Parts: sequence; structure tokens; C-alpha cells
Amino acid sequence: MDIPVILVGILSAAALLLPALDIALRRASRTFSAYFATFVIAISLGIVLLSAVGVIPLTESVAPNLMRNDLMGLFFSMVVLSVALLVSASSIDYMKNEHNISIYYSLLLFTSLGMVILSFAVDFLMIFVAWELMGIPTFILTGYRKKDLASNEAAVKFFILGALATGILLYGISIMYGLTGSTNLPAVAAALSKLSPDMLPMAAFSVIMLIAGLGLKLSIVPFHMWIPDAYEGAPTTVSALLSAGTKKAGFVAGVRILAVAFPLLKLDLTLTLAIIALATMTLGNLAALTQKSITRLLAYSSIAQAGYLLVGIAVLPSTNLGLTGLLYHSFNHAIMQGLAFLAAAIVAVRLSKTTLSSYEGLSKTMPLTSFSLTIALLGLAGMPPLSGFWSKLVLFTAAVEGDLTWLAFAGLLNSALSLGYYGLIIKRMYVDEPSETIQVREPAGFTILLLAAAAVIILTGIYPAPIYDFAQRAVLALTP
Amino acid sequence: MAEFPLISIMIFLPIIAGIVTYPIGRASKSSTKWFALVIAVVELALGLFAYSQILVNGTGAKYNFVEGPAPWIPALKGVDYYLGMDGLSGPLVLISSFLTVLVILGSRDLITEKQGMYYALILLFEGFIMGVFTSLNMVLFYAFWDIVLLPMFFFIGVWGGPRRKYAAMKFLLFTFVGSVFMLLGFIAIYILTPQNTFNIPELVGKIPLSLQPLLALLFFIGFGVKLPLVPFHTWLPDAHVEAPAPISVFLAGLLLKMGGYGFLRFNLGLLPQASVDFGWAFIAVGIVTMFYGAIVAMVQKDIKKMIALTSINHMGFVLVGAFSGTVVGISGAIFQMFTHAAAVGVMFMLSGYLHELTGTRDVTVIKGLKITSPRFAALIILGSMAAMGVPMFSSFLAEYLVILGAISVDLRYGIIVLIPVITVAYFLWMMRRTVMSAPIEGAKHHDLGTLSTISLLAYLVPLIATLIVPWLILGMADPLSESLVKVIAAR
Repeated sequence: MDIPVILVGILSAAALLLPALDIALRRASRTFSAYFATFVIAISLGIVLLSAVGVIPLTESVAPNLMRNDLMGLFFSMVVLSVALLVSASSIDYMKNEHNISIYYSLLLFTSLGMVILSFAVDFLMIFVAWELMGIPTFILTGYRKKDLASNEAAVKFFILGALATGILLYGISIMYGLTGSTNLPAVAAALSKLSPDMLPMAAFSVIMLIAGLGLKLSIVPFHMWIPDAYEGAPTTVSALLSAGTKKAGFVAGVRILAVAFPLLKLDLTLTLAIIALATMTLGNLAALTQKSITRLLAYSSIAQAGYLLVGIAVLPSTNLGLTGLLYHSFNHAIMQGLAFLAAAIVAVRLSKTTLSSYEGLSKTMPLTSFSLTIALLGLAGMPPLSGFWSKLVLFTAAVEGDLTWLAFAGLLNSALSLGYYGLIIKRMYVDEPSETIQVREPAGFTILLLAAAAVIILTGIYPAPIYDFAQRAVLALTP
Repeated sequence: MAEFPLISIMIFLPIIAGIVTYPIGRASKSSTKWFALVIAVVELALGLFAYSQILVNGTGAKYNFVEGPAPWIPALKGVDYYLGMDGLSGPLVLISSFLTVLVILGSRDLITEKQGMYYALILLFEGFIMGVFTSLNMVLFYAFWDIVLLPMFFFIGVWGGPRRKYAAMKFLLFTFVGSVFMLLGFIAIYILTPQNTFNIPELVGKIPLSLQPLLALLFFIGFGVKLPLVPFHTWLPDAHVEAPAPISVFLAGLLLKMGGYGFLRFNLGLLPQASVDFGWAFIAVGIVTMFYGAIVAMVQKDIKKMIALTSINHMGFVLVGAFSGTVVGISGAIFQMFTHAAAVGVMFMLSGYLHELTGTRDVTVIKGLKITSPRFAALIILGSMAAMGVPMFSSFLAEYLVILGAISVDLRYGIIVLIPVITVAYFLWMMRRTVMSAPIEGAKHHDLGTLSTISLLAYLVPLIATLIVPWLILGMADPLSESLVKVIAAR
């Protein structure tokens, strides 16, 4: 079946209908839109998973030049929809006291729609449309608490930089169109291979514009400035969506563009990207060490993780293993980072504080939340046998294979560095004594969600074969 | 032996039991202890069975009870589930299961808080450490190697002394950074050897000579932090002083052995050329470590810190014995790991009981133990003799073998015969001050209970047994050492 079209149909219909339905069913309940959105996303994820295991066969897309119905798209749809599901399900509790709740879920569905389209898009225009469809709702979501100054500031900052990045992206696309006469990625690739050598600087310029434009969402240095403020100001569930969801969707666009442009352009970006990767992970980790607020800490950790992911693109010319690692780490990181943000969200709601010191002795007051958060943090640090260990292993192995041993070494040292602050949170939760012992009720639904995500991290760590296999097949299917 | 997954059971029985222990602990405290004890005893029986099989058949040179290689990630070649036990793993597996039983017995008196979590972590730790000593795939090995840190982090952090938070974080960071170097070495082996595998047996003799020096350096840092070697040792005194006594037994008895195991398994087994070329450097570091540990131990007032530094000193013997590259030296190193685990184990437990009895561990304050606590005094004398390497305990034999191996390579290494002299000096001094001195006026009589005394005496049993019948260890270790020496000769 034509998965992208089905998903677009389901998600856009739900996103458009949700506010209307909510008005129609005004009397029903405040939680209707929450459950409806969660249900729709779960259905979409179910379709993706069924298709991934082969129950629903893949067919040629109706518009193959716009959206390629392939395993790469399925893999990233799985990643982004899992995150959307986590965010949506956790918002049932987290957002229950907010106004205009149906709009929140409608925007969430629109973002999911944008991310899904982006996963499948193989045309620059389609990529751009999906990019905006994904981006604009997130600006609004970031500023969702319109009476909260921090939320407003975050949204404005995010919006201005986002608009700038979109402009840069579009600029890169237009130069590429001028050079090749097409916006379709395979056609662009074909044209690039025949490009006259004196046009090469223009092509390089275009690629750099594209990287810069995408870089903002990818949260790579030096386009990372907005991240900590936006993540801190936004409702924490939205931070989870930004960090774990839209960033991954940005990576799929990057993979699709660069995997096509790289081999043909005879342009060696390996060293450049490797240095950016190094700068991103080191800066993220060093900055995270000094943070006092959990959301800012997670934001910087998210930047650092983008650096690891970038390793996979940097080694692209010499080995496919890096790309497999990138996909694999995208999935693992999405779950771990999503879980970490959501745990932070529930703690923030219950204790109405986001400082790190509020985590002291948390294992006594909120044992299950502490446990899930510990699993997520250890996974992010790359502690075996959790899933994060495997994907980092693959990424760094790829770096050694791609003759970037120094980068692998730096990455491993960074992992050790990151354990410094992850371990510090764990220490606060389990070793330190609480300043005040108030028994906090952990909401049942939310806790089950956290534990389920933790179970995914543990189980895919102990038995990593299916996800790795999926990622590898997706990479092999990328180049026909 | 493919039919019966003995090693898998030895790894996963305690892990699963550990997870089950936690809910049991929520329900009833006393049943947790018994449950943990039963599991540990079963584990010891399995360990004894496996050990005796290898010993009787004399198959220490090859891997026994092999399981796998079964692909863990089929798409990623070389990452396999692969277990086996040889003459190097055998003694360590046995002493691990033995110490776990004694640690659980010893914790009855010394650990009173959060018992459910405590015994759960003990069993998890046991399972993980079994995995370390029996993994034949480097990724599997690394996974167990790293996850062992977690129970230990919580042991120190939750049940530790006043500076436990600092000590726990320091321990975690030091050892994790060390293991990162090791992992880079593993990845380099995987990519840069033609075999493209993480399986250790398939890599023997296959690693390019040009790569070996770099790998030797990476492994040196990785294993050296655990062993620990000077200058990577600073986490150890902190961790030991803060850890509760039973956990110090684990720390010194088992965790340090992971470093020695790594040196023997990887540096000697996989990098014979580098081990020969740079053997003198490793031995030099080993000798520095020994002297450092011994001299610094001498000036300690805290008896526990003194024992911790003795461990550093004793681990130097392991390194020197291993890199002597002789059958006697390597067997001595394995023997030393085994005896040190038991000898230092009893000393750490005693330091814990000493704190219970007197409220302090300061050797300048404690007086007249021979009058106030005669049983304790007898035990600490016996334990010190074991730690010093006085004949009657096999620590003597182990140190003797190492010195013999070292001297047979180069006479100058004979300087290490001075080490036992220093060790004896500070142990005697400690005993003169605490045991043989006159008691403080009006000191009350307080002593160990019968059960504690028996559990402490149990530590000494393997030490005496293996001196009377050294074959119990050497029958395992010698075939392995011979095969390692062959690998070195065929480099």
C-alpha cells in the first residue's frame, strides 16, 4: 500500500477535524481531543509498524517524484510517530489544566504530519513544504502558554531564527535548481554528476546553504543558540517533541539530500562535518555540565547527541555503516530523550520546580519516575546493555572505519564526559537526601507511559537485532 | 558441552534472582537475606562443579562449557553471544561465587538499611561479574564490564560512609573513562584486523604488529584504572574508605581482578608482540605501584585505608607476574588474584566488624584487642598473616611464584622481594598497636559472635587448602600459562 498517502490522509483529516469535533462535542469532555489525537497517532504508528514487518506490502507511491515510499521513510516515520505518541499521551496529564486544548492537539497532529511527509519526501519543494508544515506549528506550540513570559520569549527567538533558517534553506534550494534545472532529488543527482567543473563552487555554496538551513533544526553548532531557551520556555512536552521528534525529521532531510549530493559532487565535506560534529558534541557536553535547570541540561545534552548523529553523515563517503548508525541512534535517542524530557515534565508539574536541586532524594518521593529517568540517562550516556550503547558503538565503529579514529576517540571521551552530568542527576535522585519529604502521587497513566518507554530502552538494548536490521535495510534501500 | 548452558545459568540466575529479590525485600526483610543466600550457595555449587570439571580433566588451556558463538545482531558481523571458561576464568569465577556467599553472610550484621535493594544489587553484581570473567566476545565483555559499575556506584553512594557521594561519583567517572579507552581499542581491533570480529578466540595471533603498541597503550589505561595502577589509583582509597565493609570485599576481591583478568586475557593473549616489547615498561609501572602502595599504606591511621593500599601493592604483583611472560609468573599472577581476593576479603570484613565493636578504625586509638576481643584478635592476626604472605597461607606461594617468574627474566626485577618486607612491617606495626597493646582502663569486653567468627574463618579455608595442595589452582592455571607462553613464543 501507499503508506505516505495513507498517513497524510489520516493525519491531516484528524488535524483539521479535531477543533471542529471538539466544538461539536463540547459537552463530552475536556479530554476528548487528547484521547482522539493519541488514538490517531497510535493508528498511524501501527500502520507504519505493520508495513515495516511486512504485513502491509510496500508499493510504488502515487507520486513517486514527490514522496518515495521506501524503508528510510518508514524508519523515520516510526521514530517521529513514536515520539509524537509519547508526547501526545503524556500531554493528557501534563496539559490538562490548559485552555484551548483541542488546538494544542491539532497543532501536534500537524507537526506529526509535517514530520511524516519529510521522512518520505524526495523533492526539494516537498521537503520545503513539509519543513514549514512541521516548523510553523512548533513555533506556536513553543509559545503555547501565552501568559508566560519565558514561553513567549522562547517562541519569538525560535520563530526569528527559524524564519532565517528557512530563508537560507530556500536560498540553497533555488541555487540548486538553477544549477540542475530540477527539484527532484534523483534528477538533481543526475544533473550534478554532469555538472561542468567551473560550476562546482556554486554547487558547494548551495550545499553549505542547505546544511546551514537544516542545521538550525538539527541543533548543530553554531546554529544551536536558540535551543536551551526554547526548550526551557516551551511546555516541556513540546521540548520533548522538538528534541526527539522534529530534530530527527531534520536529519532525514539531511540524509536524503547529502546522501545524494555527496558522492556525485566530488566535494570532500568529511573533515568539515567531522569538525562540526566534534564541536557540537563537546560544546553540548561541556555546557550541560554547568547547568542548574534540568530542561536546560537536557537541551544541551540534546545538542551533544546531535553531534554523535552527525558522525554518521561525516563518514558517508567511505562507509554506509555510519548512516545505519545514524538511523539507529535516531530511534534510540528519540525514545531516551523523549523519556527524559517527559520525566522532567512530570517532576516539574508535581514539584513546580525545574532546578536540579529539586531532584535530591527523588527516588523516595517518586520512585517509578526516578527509575525511568535513570534508565533514560544511562542510555543517553551509552551504558551497556541499554539501546544507546549499541547505536553509539555503531557510530564510533563507523568513524574508525571511515578513517576518523580521532573523532571516535573524541566521541567516546565525550560519552564519558556526559556521564558526569547524567550521573550527577542519578546521584541526586538516589544518594542525596531530600530537603523535604512530601509524598507525591505519581499519576498512574503517565507513570505507565514512562515505564513503557524505559522498557523499550532496556529490551531493544538486550535484543537490538530487529531495530538495527531495520535501520540497515533502510540504508540499503536508499540507493537503488 | 553445548547441551547444558552452564555458564549462562551462572550469569543469569543471580541477575533474575536479583530482580526478584527487590519485591521480596519490600515484603519481608529476613526472607530477602535467606533468598539471596540460597541463590549464592547454588551459584557456589555451580562454580565448584564447573571448576572441578576443568581441573580434573586438565583442560585449563582451552575454553570449556563453550556457548555460542550465537549472533547477537545478525546484521552486524562479529557481535556474538559467546561464553567460555578456561584456566584464567575458572579461579576467578570460583572465588567470585565464594566471596558472594561470605559477603551475604557478613552483611547480616553490618547492613541494616534498605535491605531489599541491597541484596538485589548483590545478586546483580554477582551475575555481572560472572559475565565479565566468561565473555569471549569483546562487546559482550564490555557490556558486563561497564554494567558492573552501576551496582558498585549505588553500593558506595547509598550505603557508604560520610563522604560517600564524592567517592561514588569519583569511582564512576574514573572507571567509566578508563573503559572508554578500552572500548576504542576493541573497535580498532574490529575494524583494522582482517577478521572483522569481536570474538576473542578468533583474534589470537591475528592482530597486525603495527597496531599492537597503540592497543597496548589503550588497554593499559583501560585495565590500569581498574587494577589500579599508579597513577590511575586515586579513586581506590576513597571508594574503599567510604564503602561498607562487605562491599569493600567485592571491590578489592572482585572488581580489581577485572583489571588483572583484562591484562592477561587481552594484553598477553591478543597483543603478544607489544607485551614482549613493552613488558619492561609494564613491569616498571607494576613495581612503582607496589612500592607506592606499600609505602603509603605504612603511614595510614585508618586500618581500612591501609588494607585498601595493600590491595594496590598486591595488584602490582599481578602485573609483574603477567608481563614476566613465563609460565611460573603467569600462574603466579592468577594465583595471586585468587589468594588476594580471599586474604584481603577477610581483612576488610574485619575492619567492618572492628568499627562495629569499637566505633572507630583508627589504629592509634584502638588498644588491647587481645584482652577485650580475643576472637577478633585471633582472626586479625590470622588475616594479617594471610595478607602478608606468611607460609601456611597460599598468598606466600603466589608471591613466591611471581618473584620467581620475574627474576628468571631479569635479575634486577628481584627488587620486588623487598615488597613483602614492607608489607610485613606495617602489618606487624598495626597489630602491635591494636592487638598487643594494653587495653584502655575500664574497656568493656565485646567480641564477635560465633556465626560471624565461622564466616570469617571460612575466608581462610581456600588459602590453607591451596597451600597444602597447590595443584588446586596450578592444575588450572599452568595449562593456561603454557598456552599463553606459546602464543608469546609464536608471535
